Amino acid sequence: MFRHRVAGPSRRFLAYLLDLIICYTAFVVIAFVVVIVAIGMAAATDAAESAIAAGIGVLLVVIFAIQWVYFAVLEAWKGRTPGKAALGLRVVSTTGRPIGFRAAALRNVLRAADALPLTYTAGLLSIAGLASMSTTRRFQRLGDLVAGTIVIIPERATVAAPLVLWPPAQPYELAQLPDDVRLDADERLAIEMFLRRRARLGRARELELATMIAGTLGDRFGFRGQDASRTLAVLYDRAANAGRIDAPASSRTPGSWR
Amino acid sequence: MAIVSALTERAFAGRRQRDWEILDSLVRTVQNRGLRVLLPEQIAQLSPLYRDVCADLSRAEGARYSAPLIDYLQGLAAAAHAVLYGHARGRWSVVGGRGSTVRLFVEAFPRAVRRHKVAMLLAFLLFFVPFFAGFFATMVDPGFALRIVPEAQLRPLVEAYKEGFSSARGAGMDAAMAGFYVNNNVGIALRCFATGLFFGLGSAFYLVQNGLATGAIMGYVASHGAGDNILTFVVGHGSLELGAIVLAGGAGMAMGWSIVAPGDKTRIASLQSTAKSVVVVVFGAAVMLFMAAAVEGFWSASTLPTIVKRSVGGAMFLIVMAYIVLAGRGSEQAAEAERAEGIDRWT
Repeated sequence: MFRHRVAGPSRRFLAYLLDLIICYTAFVVIAFVVVIVAIGMAAATDAAESAIAAGIGVLLVVIFAIQWVYFAVLEAWKGRTPGKAALGLRVVSTTGRPIGFRAAALRNVLRAADALPLTYTAGLLSIAGLASMSTTRRFQRLGDLVAGTIVIIPERATVAAPLVLWPPAQPYELAQLPDDVRLDADERLAIEMFLRRRARLGRARELELATMIAGTLGDRFGFRGQDASRTLAVLYDRAANAGRIDAPASSRTPGSWR
Repeated sequence: MAIVSALTERAFAGRRQRDWEILDSLVRTVQNRGLRVLLPEQIAQLSPLYRDVCADLSRAEGARYSAPLIDYLQGLAAAAHAVLYGHARGRWSVVGGRGSTVRLFVEAFPRAVRRHKVAMLLAFLLFFVPFFAGFFATMVDPGFALRIVPEAQLRPLVEAYKEGFSSARGAGMDAAMAGFYVNNNVGIALRCFATGLFFGLGSAFYLVQNGLATGAIMGYVASHGAGDNILTFVVGHGSLELGAIVLAGGAGMAMGWSIVAPGDKTRIASLQSTAKSVVVVVFGAAVMLFMAAAVEGFWSASTLPTIVKRSVGGAMFLIVMAYIVLAGRGSEQAAEAERAEGIDRWT
């Protein structure tokens, strides 16, 4: 079954910071408009005090909306706030489904608990939330735990072409290469990452990196290529492709895969 | 792994790539422009393609194909899942089922309050015992209030209430005060609920602190001879405002208690199901506070005769009590919705 990539605290912090910047920029713009309107009304009706008081009432409601409404409504509606969208994040339930308003409201009201004990930092220093995130497997803050939500990074990888050994294994290499090359998952991943990067490395750096493990692996399988980098490439190719058919593509219709 | 593909990665990807690309483009279309733009046969394709990609993923993992291919399939499967599986319930629904906005207020909210009545009664006591303690202690010795609320805050209140309501304070000031009450009071109620997560301690703190301070302020104003005026002011919105703080605190206490005594569930499961059950109380309390803010801003300080304000306020107390105690009793539809949500009497 597939797994979601879960977002960590630093990325989520940046998203939150961005949301606060967006909100308070909007607040300043609204405040500016309110002041203009209040001054205009005061000039027209000479009830300056009353107009400005009403403006303050409006601004207080805007602050309330920033604190308690913005996150809940946007997460229920879009699954993400603009800040989260910019950082490539999305909120889903622990079962991977989009969240509704109830879960969104719950996880955001509980920001008040996450922000403790330094509540006056507006959640930028959420000690309780950070403690919760660092002790749960999926980086859940308290609000996430209660609402049953996680924050994921739904970005998509583009398929990379499989690694192809080039030039193909030479007769003298095949002569000393064992039939069965068993690499564990970490070894495979390390070699693969190296092979994918090596074209972008300088030749000296490529060999320097390859030498770090080529010696040990070469001893284990009794194989030496013409250099360390080639050794890894050949061993990887044998481990990944030995005994497998490299058949051409055939056309199929959906649902017929067995 | 039992599933070991006999194909090399290149052959595997070559065979399957066409399907992946079809699914990829369908998913991207839905993400960008919605499900409606797809043709019926395209929609019919989605689910078999999704199942195939899931199978491809486990095949690729079993065969230990390279990480980028597995990453690609993970991302594709997750994106297709997000397109295929929508909301479990209505997106904006708080209580589940049909007609939920009306039912939220008519039935679900008071039912949820009664479902957690022990926590609600405890919250009631945690607010009103300190409230009366603060009130009477201040009546006996006005100096008591000064230990709880700064004098700079108390003095202007006394001045204001001594003046009475002979002159209206103006529509602008009314709006400013209503805005202040929304921001301040709803904020307090939500914080009072949220901090209940810590075994109910945060809720208890906010309830006691607000009860004591409110009682002390009323006692202080009363001991300076403006008791009649502050009663007239408070009675209009008091039932909604104080009631809502108590209910939000009670919801927090219930949430905290669910961690202390989880019953036959794990603590986290108990917490989640209780939170699901009380969240409607928090919504209800927030709405009560919006109403209270409107009353407090535009009615309580108005120049209406004292007798009108007091009788309407008194009636409001009875209405709020009757609503919480009686509304939604024996509603089969509400009970059904609660069962469907997995909420029973004991959660």
